[in-house]
Amino acid sequence: MAESESGGHSLPLANLRAVVLTQAWAGAVTSMLLGDMGSDVIQIEALERPDPWRGGYAPRLSGTYANNDPGARPFDRNANFNSVNTNKQGITIDLNHRKGKDLFLDLVRISDIVAENFSARVIPNFRLEYPALRQINPSIIMLRMPSYGTFGPYAMYMGNGGTTEPMSGISSLLGYQDGPPMNSGVMHTDPVAGMFGYASLMIALHYRNRTGYGQLIDLSQQETSVHIISRQVMEHTLTGITPIRRGNRDDLMAPHGNFPCQGDDSWVAIAVRSDSEWVCLCEVMDRPDLATDPRYADFAGRQGHVADLERAVSEWTSGQEAYAVTARLQAVGIPSAPVLKAAEVLENPQLKARGFFDEVTHPDTGTYRHAGTPWRLANSPRRPRSPAPTLGQHSVEVFHNLLGLSREEVVALIESGVTGETPAPEE
Amino acid sequence: MSALSDLRVIDLSTDVAGPFCAKLFADFGADVIKVEHPQGGDQARSIGPFADQSNPAESSAFFLYLNTNKRGVTLNLDTQQGVFVLRQLISAADVVIESFQHGTMERIGMGFDELQQLKPGIVLASITPFGQDGPWREYQATDLVEFAASGLSSVNGLASREPLKVPGFETYYQAGVSAFSGAMTAICYRDTGGPGEHVDVSILEAATTIFGPQILAAQHSGRSPGRRNAPRPTGLFPCKDGFISLNVRHEPTWRFMWLFFDEPEMADDPRFATQNARRERNQELEELLMPRLAQYTMEELFHGLAPIRIMVGMSLDAGQIANDPHLNERGLFVESQHPVAGAVRQPGAPFLMDETPWEIRQPAPTLGQHNREIFTGMLGYSPRELDRWRAQEII
Repeated sequence: MAESESGGHSLPLANLRAVVLTQAWAGAVTSMLLGDMGSDVIQIEALERPDPWRGGYAPRLSGTYANNDPGARPFDRNANFNSVNTNKQGITIDLNHRKGKDLFLDLVRISDIVAENFSARVIPNFRLEYPALRQINPSIIMLRMPSYGTFGPYAMYMGNGGTTEPMSGISSLLGYQDGPPMNSGVMHTDPVAGMFGYASLMIALHYRNRTGYGQLIDLSQQETSVHIISRQVMEHTLTGITPIRRGNRDDLMAPHGNFPCQGDDSWVAIAVRSDSEWVCLCEVMDRPDLATDPRYADFAGRQGHVADLERAVSEWTSGQEAYAVTARLQAVGIPSAPVLKAAEVLENPQLKARGFFDEVTHPDTGTYRHAGTPWRLANSPRRPRSPAPTLGQHSVEVFHNLLGLSREEVVALIESGVTGETPAPEE
Repeated sequence: MSALSDLRVIDLSTDVAGPFCAKLFADFGADVIKVEHPQGGDQARSIGPFADQSNPAESSAFFLYLNTNKRGVTLNLDTQQGVFVLRQLISAADVVIESFQHGTMERIGMGFDELQQLKPGIVLASITPFGQDGPWREYQATDLVEFAASGLSSVNGLASREPLKVPGFETYYQAGVSAFSGAMTAICYRDTGGPGEHVDVSILEAATTIFGPQILAAQHSGRSPGRRNAPRPTGLFPCKDGFISLNVRHEPTWRFMWLFFDEPEMADDPRFATQNARRERNQELEELLMPRLAQYTMEELFHGLAPIRIMVGMSLDAGQIANDPHLNERGLFVESQHPVAGAVRQPGAPFLMDETPWEIRQPAPTLGQHNREIFTGMLGYSPRELDRWRAQEII
C-alpha cells in the first residue's frame, strides 16, 4: 500500500512491525533505522535489567544527563540511550516470567522482524531461538548480532565496541607512528555493525516479499569490523607484511594529515591526492619554491620527505582559521575540512543546509537536535522523529491496544512485576 | 534461490563507497553490471597491494575485494554511442549506482526524472562526499576529510597531539552500506507498490550518524568530548606480548577479575568500593592492574577472563586476524581463483543468512571482460560493431 489516506506517499516500511530486544548501540542503530523508514518498532527492556545505555538506575559518573542533572529518573535522561532509540515504542517485559514470555511470543506472532544483540548465550537461555519463533510465525525474520556471532570458539564471550575494535584489528592500526595501538574515542564499530544489520534485514525482507519465507541472520560485529579493514588484512595475506600505525599519514597520499590552526585545539584536515594537487597547494601557500622542488614532484618523493612537508604546511595553517583554510583549498579542488568537535558539527554549514539534524522534544529532557538518517529517499519525506521512550512508556498501550489485554489483565501484569515503568530495586 | 536474483543493477561508481554498495547487491545474488571507463577503469584498480606487479590494474587485492560477483563492461560516457548503450542497459535494470560529481548524471541526460521515464520504478543511488545539494556539494573529500568534518577525528588520539583518523576507508564503507540500505528499502517499498526512488547519500552524513550519541551528549552537557590524557590514553593495557582492552568497573566483573588474579580479597579494597569510585580513582586502579597484567599474554588474559564474563579484547594485527581461529571456524575468509591474480583470499560474508547465504560465484571482472557477453549476447550488437567501438575508444 503506497498511498496513505491523505493521498501522499506513506513511509517505505509502514506495513512492518519489528519487536526488538536491541540494546546499547549496535542493535539499537538497526532498530532505529527501521523506525526511521516507517516500521513500528517495539523495543523490549526488562525492569530487572534496563538497556545498559540508560546508564543504570542510580546516576553514574559516566552518564551524560541533560543539563548535567540526573533528575529523578536518570535512566530517562542519558544522552547515549536517548540518541539511538528515537522512532521506537518502549515496553518492559520480564522474559524469565512465563506470562512475560507468552506476551513476547504474542508480539512475535503479529510481527515481521525480531532483532537482538545480546551476548550469544542469552537467547538460548530464554529458549527463544529461531526455530521456536518460526513455529509460531513461519515468515518471521530474526537478526541476531552478538559481538562474535552465534557460534564458534568465542561465541559465548561478551563484548562491546571496546573489545570489538581491538579484536577486529582496527586498534592495531590506530595510533601515532611512534606509539602503542589505541582504541578510538567512540565505539564506532557498533554503529557500523548496526548499519550492516539493517542492510541484512532488507535483503531478508525482499526475499520474504518474493517467497513468503523468513530466515535467521547471524551477524558477528567482529566480522563486520574486519570487513572495513579488508585492504590491510589482504595486504598481509598477499605480502606477509603487517600494516602498522602511521598516525594520519597515508600510503597513497602526501601530505595527508590534520594541521594546527589558530585557536586552542583547532585543526584542519588536508589530503593531497596527486602531483597536480601538490602544485596547487604550493600556489595557495605561496610557496613556489616547493612547487618546483624536484624532490617533491611525485608521491614517492613527498612520502620520503613527508616530515619536511608537514612542517611547511603547518607553518602556513597555524596562523589561520580552519574554515578559512578549507575554503581556500576547496576553491582549487583540494580535499579539506576543519576537524570539528561534537558541538561544532551541529554548526557545520553543509549539514545545516541539508537539514540533517532533526529537532526532537523529549518529555523529560527538553528539545535537542539529533543526527538524521544516513540516506534520503526523494519520494519518501522523512518522518518526524519521536523521542526515545522513557522506561516502559508504551507498555500499557501495547498490551491493551495492540495485544487486546483487558484493563484488569494489564494491572495484574504490573502488580506481578512482569511489566511497569518503575525501576526494580537495585541490589 | 539467491535473495536478490530478481534484480539487475548497473554500477557506474568508482573507488570504495559505490562499488561496496554494488558488491552487496552482487554478493547476495543480483546481476550487477559494472560499467568502467575504457581507459584505466575504476580508480580502485590502482590501489595496492597487487598480486601481480606486472599487471597491477588486474590484480589489486582491494579492487578484487570490492567487485566480487559483478560482470564488467567498458563504456566511454563522453561519447554519444556510449551513453546510448548505457540507456539500453538501464532500461532493463532495477537499480543504478553512481558516485559522479554532483550534476554529472543530469549532464549526460540521466538525471533521476529521465531514468524514471526510461524505466519506471527504477532506483537511483547517488553517493557523493557531501550530498546532492548544499554549499559543499562541489567540495572534494577523502576519508580523512570526512573523519574531520563528522567529528569522528576530534576524539581519537592524545589531547596533547593531533587528532587521528582510523586508518582505512571507514566512512566510505559506512556510506556504501547506507546507499545499499537506502536502495534496498526502496526496492522493498516497490515490492509493496511504492514508487521509484532517488537515494541521496552524503558520505559526511553517513559518517556523522556514527557520532550521533556524542552530538546529543554535547548538547546535554554543554561541552564536547575530547581526546584522552595520560596516563592511560589509549584505552588499551599493555600485557606480556601485546595490548588488551579491559572493562572491570562493573559489579560483578570487578570481583571476578580478582578471582582470576587469585587475590579475591582485593575486591573488597575500600578505595574501590563502588563503580563510581573505580572511575574516580582510575589512575590508582590502573597502577594496581598494570604489573599484574604484565605477567600474562594476551591469549592467557582473553581465555582466562572472557569465560568468567569479563569484557576483554586482544589487540590483534592484520596477520593475527587472518589466522584467528574463531573467524576461521566461522568461515569468514574465502578463496577464489582470479585469471590474473590467481588465488585470492579475502573476507567473504559480512553476515550469515540461513536461507539465502552469501556466495562467491565469480571473481571481480577484468576490464571489459564481459563486453561481448553483454553487448552481443544481451543487447544484440554484432562482434563487428564491437570492433568498431573499440577502434573509436567507445569501449
